[in-house]
Amino acid sequence: MGEVHKLLADYGPAFGQALLLTWKLTALSFVPGFALGVVVAVLRLLPLPPLRGALTAYVEVFRNIPTVGLLIFIVFALPDLNVVLDYDTAVVLTLALVCSAFTADYLRSGINTVDSGQIEAALSLGMRPITVITAIVLPQALRTVVQPVTSLLIALMLSTSLASQVPFPGRELTALVSKIANESAAGIAAFAVAAALYVTTGLVIGWLGGLLERRLRILR
Amino acid sequence: MSRPLEDILFGAPSPRARAATRAASVAAAVVLLAVAAGIVARFHSAGQLDARLWSFFALPTTWAFLGKGLLGTLASAAMAAAIALGLGLVLMLGRLARPRLIRWPSVAAIEFLRGTPTLLLIYVCFLVLPSVGIKLSTYWMLTLPVALSTAAVVAEVYRAGVLAVPRGQTDAARSLGMTEMQVFFTIVFPQALRYIVPALVAQLVIVVKDTTFGYVVTYGELMQNAKVLIANYQSLVPVYLVVAAIYCLVNYGLSRASKRLGRPGW
Repeated sequence: MGEVHKLLADYGPAFGQALLLTWKLTALSFVPGFALGVVVAVLRLLPLPPLRGALTAYVEVFRNIPTVGLLIFIVFALPDLNVVLDYDTAVVLTLALVCSAFTADYLRSGINTVDSGQIEAALSLGMRPITVITAIVLPQALRTVVQPVTSLLIALMLSTSLASQVPFPGRELTALVSKIANESAAGIAAFAVAAALYVTTGLVIGWLGGLLERRLRILR
Repeated sequence: MSRPLEDILFGAPSPRARAATRAASVAAAVVLLAVAAGIVARFHSAGQLDARLWSFFALPTTWAFLGKGLLGTLASAAMAAAIALGLGLVLMLGRLARPRLIRWPSVAAIEFLRGTPTLLLIYVCFLVLPSVGIKLSTYWMLTLPVALSTAAVVAEVYRAGVLAVPRGQTDAARSLGMTEMQVFFTIVFPQALRYIVPALVAQLVIVVKDTTFGYVVTYGELMQNAKVLIANYQSLVPVYLVVAAIYCLVNYGLSRASKRLGRPGW
C-alpha cells in the first residue's frame, strides 16, 4: 500500500492526465466511428450491387484486421504514399475505422430483427423506402444494438492502449505504465493503478449501457 | 422471415424505378472505380509500384519466412486459446459457486482480466516481471497475457451458455439423484457448449488479432517477421499490404466458420 502511496505522490497528476487522454481518445474515435458505421449500415441496404460489394469488403477488412496492424500501416506506410498524418490523428482514425466496421455489422443484425410485416405495412401506406429506413427500421435497429455497442465502446476504450505504440504528445495509461516501469521500480504499483482505472471506466460504461438498454429495450 | 429486408424494401419495383436503380448502380460502380484508380495512381506517383518493391515476393524464401511468422502466430494463438478454454471454465465455475470465498475472488479476477488492455498485461510480463526476477521467454510473454485476458471473456461466454440451459433440466437431474458434479458435467455443460460454440470461435479471431502484439516482445509471429522483411528489402507498403491480407483471410475464415457452426441444426 505504501508503494502505491509513493507512486501517487510522484505520478498522481500524470495518472490524471493519462486517464483523461484515454477517455478523450475513446470519445474522439467512438463518435465518428459510430456515425460512420450507421451510414455504412444504411448504404448497404440500397439495391446497388457494386456499392453493397464494396461496403461488405470494407466491413470485413476492418473487422478482421488486427487494430495495431492497421495503426502501424497508417503511421508508417501511408507516408510512403505521401499521406502524412499526425500521430494522434492516426490513432483516432484507426480506432474510428475499426469501430465503424463493428457498428455496421451489429446494426445489420439489429436491422434483421425488424419484422418484415412492418416494412410491408409502411410501403403499402405509400412511404418511400428511404423514409421506411429512417423512420421505422433504423430507430428499432439502434434500440436493439445498445448492448453490443456498449461492449464495443469498452473494447475501444481498452484499444486506446495501442496509442502507446506511437510517439504521442502526452501519455495515455498504458504508455504511462511502460514509462514508469522503465524509469523506476514502481512498475507493479503503476500497473495496479492503471488497471484499476481501466476496470473502473469499463464498469461505469457497462453500467450506463445497462441503464440505457433497459430504457430502450423493445418488448416483443 | 425468409426474404432479407432489403429485398422487401426495394422489391418488385416499377420499370421506371428499376431503370433508376440500374443507372445508380452504374454510377456507384464508376465512382468506386474512380476511387480505386485514384489509389493506384497515388501508388504509382509515390513510386510504390516499382518492381524493386514487389519482386522479392517471387522468392520462395519470402513466403517461407512469412509462413514461419504465420506459424508463430498460430502457435501462440492455439496455446492461448487452449489455456483460455480451460482457465475460463475454472473461473466460470468459481463465479457460479455458492461459497462467497470462492465466488468473489473469481468475480474480481474476471473483471480485472477482462477490463485491462491485453497490451498492458504484455507490458507487465515484458517490463515488470523481469525486474522482480521472473524471466519468461518471448513466446510466453505474448501467450500468457493473451491467454489470461481471453480466459476472462471465455468465462463470461461459458456462463451465458450455462444460464441459457432451462432450469427444469437441472431440477429433473437432481430429482433423479445425480450429484451436483454429474448434473453439471453430464446435463448442463454439454448443452451450454452447443449454444456458445459460435461465440467461442469468434473469440479465436480476437486471440489471433491480439498475438499481433508479438512484435512488442520480438516474438517471431507474422507482424514481427513482416518488420524483418521490411528492414531487409526496404519495402514497407507492399509487405504491410500482404500481411494485412493474410490476417484478414485467416480471421475471415474463422468468422465464417463460427457463422456456419452457429446455424440451427448443427
